[in-house]
Amino acid sequence: MNLLSFLSMLILAITLLTMIFGVIAYFLYKTREKKKKMDSLTYEEALAQEKKELLFFEKG
Amino acid sequence: MVGMLQKIVFIFFMLLMLALTYYSVYNLQELYVTTTYVFVKYAVMLVFFFTMLIVIRYLFLMFFSILQLIKRTADYDRALRTTDVVTVIVPAYNEEDVIVYSIKSLIEQTYPNIEIIVIDDGSKDNTYQLAKTFEFEEDNRSLKVLSKSNAGKSRALNYAIEHAKGNLICTVDADSRLDPYAIEMLVQHFADPQIAAVAGSVAVVNQDSFLTKLQALEYIQGLNMVKNAQAYVKLVNIIPGPLGMFRRDAMKKVGYYAHDTFAEDCDLTLALIAHGYKIEFESDAIAYTEAPDNLLDLLKQRYRWTRGILQAIKKNRSFLWRPISNPSISLVMWYMLFEAIFWPFMQIWGNVFMIVLALSTGVSQFLVYWWVIFTVLDIVGAMYCLLITRENLTLSLYAIVYRIAFISVINIAKIFATIEEWFHIEMGWGKLKRKGSIK
Repeated sequence: MNLLSFLSMLILAITLLTMIFGVIAYFLYKTREKKKKMDSLTYEEALAQEKKELLFFEKG
Repeated sequence: MVGMLQKIVFIFFMLLMLALTYYSVYNLQELYVTTTYVFVKYAVMLVFFFTMLIVIRYLFLMFFSILQLIKRTADYDRALRTTDVVTVIVPAYNEEDVIVYSIKSLIEQTYPNIEIIVIDDGSKDNTYQLAKTFEFEEDNRSLKVLSKSNAGKSRALNYAIEHAKGNLICTVDADSRLDPYAIEMLVQHFADPQIAAVAGSVAVVNQDSFLTKLQALEYIQGLNMVKNAQAYVKLVNIIPGPLGMFRRDAMKKVGYYAHDTFAEDCDLTLALIAHGYKIEFESDAIAYTEAPDNLLDLLKQRYRWTRGILQAIKKNRSFLWRPISNPSISLVMWYMLFEAIFWPFMQIWGNVFMIVLALSTGVSQFLVYWWVIFTVLDIVGAMYCLLITRENLTLSLYAIVYRIAFISVINIAKIFATIEEWFHIEMGWGKLKRKGSIK
């Protein structure tokens, strides 16, 4: 395998992996923010968001 | 002797870059001529089109940036202005890890007439108490701490402006530490009555990881090439949060900070340009700031910036179509639209096209040539910026992965942010946790 073919394969692999990594990283960020938002909710805020009279918590 | 050797190495390096570019362009052309695949021909044309766009962008920015440098050198011996009262406003929300260092750097400013206002935007930590210990009042200098319930940065800034005495308003982020001469350098531009605002320079203080080094390179390029070039025509499009100075009368004319976008600084700058004012950039007024040191925090920052800029563009979109009646704002808006939407979409679309083509036809050489051409441009651009700022030249080596990895990941986040903004998906401010690196 000559240098050009090796570089072609390498850059193709890096480009492909970066694209996949970029998409995964974005969704990881969104999931983290969603989780953070849920963790910082007060009982009243959660109640307002759910629009229900009662909220039930499971014992951790 | 060492200096001479450095120059020789540098010249050889530049010749190598030139040779690599020639080799890539020559082989791409050969590939175009010899291939029978229609799609490969398209790919080669695409590479040339992209390259042409990026070369034109680089050449324009570099050309104006060099002109600005020459102009600055010619203006160097002007008399210092010290009579204007400058009110420095530091909006702070949960900044207890960094507020002390930020305030100390403001107290150490060389400019004599300074009123510092720290505005605590309803922090839940000890920001207010810590800032309060620095309060003082002397003849021409004072520091006071105000507090209000949490309502966002733009409202905090406007509240502080209401209590300000200065005819020049300087805004500083609480996570930034200023160079002692920063305020003095910014004030000098206001001798020209047409100047409504001056953007300061931003440097990454925590250059201790791969990610923060890439951001440092990005900041250096963004400021010394893009902002410097924009400053030549006095149309800088964004006053950065870490450091900027405004003429109070001009702010009043455009209604101060608006509250309907997440990029209040960009929105205000656009409003000033639309009113016919000029915006400058001062590369020697430096604010040191903490860059996100993990990828998810970086994406969070870029997501907010992108959506904020898109909101500002959307709000001012009517100016896009006024190239005759208001060419300045129209030009700035088109440039922002290109950088915020067109370029990220084109780059990612180009990547996807190349991957699909390489996998389906087995021809992937053009990816190498594409990468070589872009990387040579990035390295040379980085070197130019590093040389004029006298920064460490080794930072230019990071340009090798800058476009293929860093910019691609950032552009993917920008594209998602654009899609979410298009569909009006709710977003929050997304404040980053400070690490206290600015000390």
